[in-house]
Amino acid sequence: MTAATEARPVTRASHPLRKTRLLRRLTPYLLALPLLGFIAAFTYVPIASSLNLSFREWDFLSPTKPWVGLDNYRLLLDSREFWNAMKVTAIFAVISVPIRLALALLIATRLMSETWVSRLMRGALFLPSVTSTVAIAVVFSWVFSTDYGMMNAILGWFGLGKVYWMQDPQIALWVLIFVNSWKQLGYDIIIYLAGLQAIPTELYDAASVDGGRKFHVFRRVTVPLVMPTTYFLLVISVIEAFQVFTIVDVMTKGGPAGATDMIVNMLYRVGFTLFDIGQGSALAVILFILLIALAVFKSRVLGRKVHYES
Amino acid sequence: MKADNPLLAVLALAAGLLFLSPVLYSIWMSFQTVDAYYTGTVDFTLENYQAAIGQYNFARYLLNSVIVSGAVTLIGLAVATMAAFAFARYDFPGGNVMFGATVATLMIPSHITLIPNYLTLAKAGLLDSYAGLILPAISNGFAAFFLRQYIRGIPRALDEAAYMDGANALQVLWRVIVPIAKPAILSMGLYIFISEWNNYIWPLVAIGREDMYTLQVGLARLYRVNPGEDVIDWPLVMAASTITILPVLLGFLLVERHLVRGIMMGAVK
Repeated sequence: MTAATEARPVTRASHPLRKTRLLRRLTPYLLALPLLGFIAAFTYVPIASSLNLSFREWDFLSPTKPWVGLDNYRLLLDSREFWNAMKVTAIFAVISVPIRLALALLIATRLMSETWVSRLMRGALFLPSVTSTVAIAVVFSWVFSTDYGMMNAILGWFGLGKVYWMQDPQIALWVLIFVNSWKQLGYDIIIYLAGLQAIPTELYDAASVDGGRKFHVFRRVTVPLVMPTTYFLLVISVIEAFQVFTIVDVMTKGGPAGATDMIVNMLYRVGFTLFDIGQGSALAVILFILLIALAVFKSRVLGRKVHYES
Repeated sequence: MKADNPLLAVLALAAGLLFLSPVLYSIWMSFQTVDAYYTGTVDFTLENYQAAIGQYNFARYLLNSVIVSGAVTLIGLAVATMAAFAFARYDFPGGNVMFGATVATLMIPSHITLIPNYLTLAKAGLLDSYAGLILPAISNGFAAFFLRQYIRGIPRALDEAAYMDGANALQVLWRVIVPIAKPAILSMGLYIFISEWNNYIWPLVAIGREDMYTLQVGLARLYRVNPGEDVIDWPLVMAASTITILPVLLGFLLVERHLVRGIMMGAVK
């Protein structure tokens, strides 16, 4: 019996050394165990305990955690704060995602060639998506600061007055959308480039032979053929928008007057500054259900249509 | 776009510079004195870096970030590679369930685990410790999922030849699979390192002691120390921000290709 068959230990039954055989049978379990231990301890058990805590009332300190049924959910769904956070998050997603994707696709079609200019541009555009979000938020806090910021300085050159970018409830969310788009654009472009490379060039040639103008070719050939990529990015970006926290925490803390209070920001506030574990957990469970639904939608609808492996 | 057209090339470069101008200017600003910044003159200095590293303890935060991100990357890669090997090469009872549980972590938003993990670590006395920052971050199935796909593409004949020579499973993994899967493992390592380097919410939750801050938390706190906008020492804050960005930036310039591939792999998520 060769050791090679041990790769499928269940198929062969006889081995002279029973002890080694047992060890070999156990091999895959031993190999997978460390990762599964971590996943169980820090992902699956916590999901169950979030669910459990969401039915209880607790403040981190008191010795008892009385069962309160659906009260935490009821309180949340009745609160203006929750619906405000949902609204802000939805606006953020609905406005930022389509604009970003359209821009990313337009730029990606121009950066297909392997010239040094387009390589450099791809690098420059991609850089923010691997850069620290905190640092980006800090830098843009300066860009949009009222008195010494870059934006108001530029407005000043044109003789325009100061804008209170982050203090005006009408504007603050747009600033966050801008910053988040600036950071994520490069990622979208890279994914679009992968999608565009999969389109056979003959299709472009055929379209241009037919006398199609550039925009026509873009609309009739490029856009429909990268649709799977677009769906993929759309769902990914909406999921990501529902988890935005860092730029909110650093730039606005959810203010002014709740104008930028997105869901995870509310979760952090309720759980870790108000120490309302029950409601914080209920909020986490609602977010979880929403995002799982989106993820299931993604894998059901998109299935294996979008697949990048280099 | 053709690079031979110099006009287009110049325009593209200008657009790229404009796009990155906030970050480029923040780096420039970090080398200016406060007075020069507020009066709009030019006066180079390293005092912002000296203050950030010394007085404001960013040397310590840098060390903490390196330790945490480094440990998460090494431990994460080790457990992921072993699990990926098991999932790719063995057909064992419960294997599919385990693999399913691993893949499912890709769609689970990490925020659901925030409060319970905080409670677990508090009970274990691991808040304000490296272990508290490192352990929860290992609970991520992405690297295992990706490496499993990669390992399945390696011909089994190579394993079997090694088994014939009397190697055991660990030796096959280490001497046959790992060397071949090296590019994939490296890309994953970069991906994990950068994600962990930039992680903010978990260190924010798990760390209260100032000397355990990572760079991200330290930078956010430094900026927030004086919320009154006009008294912010921007050149100092930008020096701290540059320290936070620089390691990843340098790494990016060195291995851009690997990184882009890692991110594209991330797209299967």
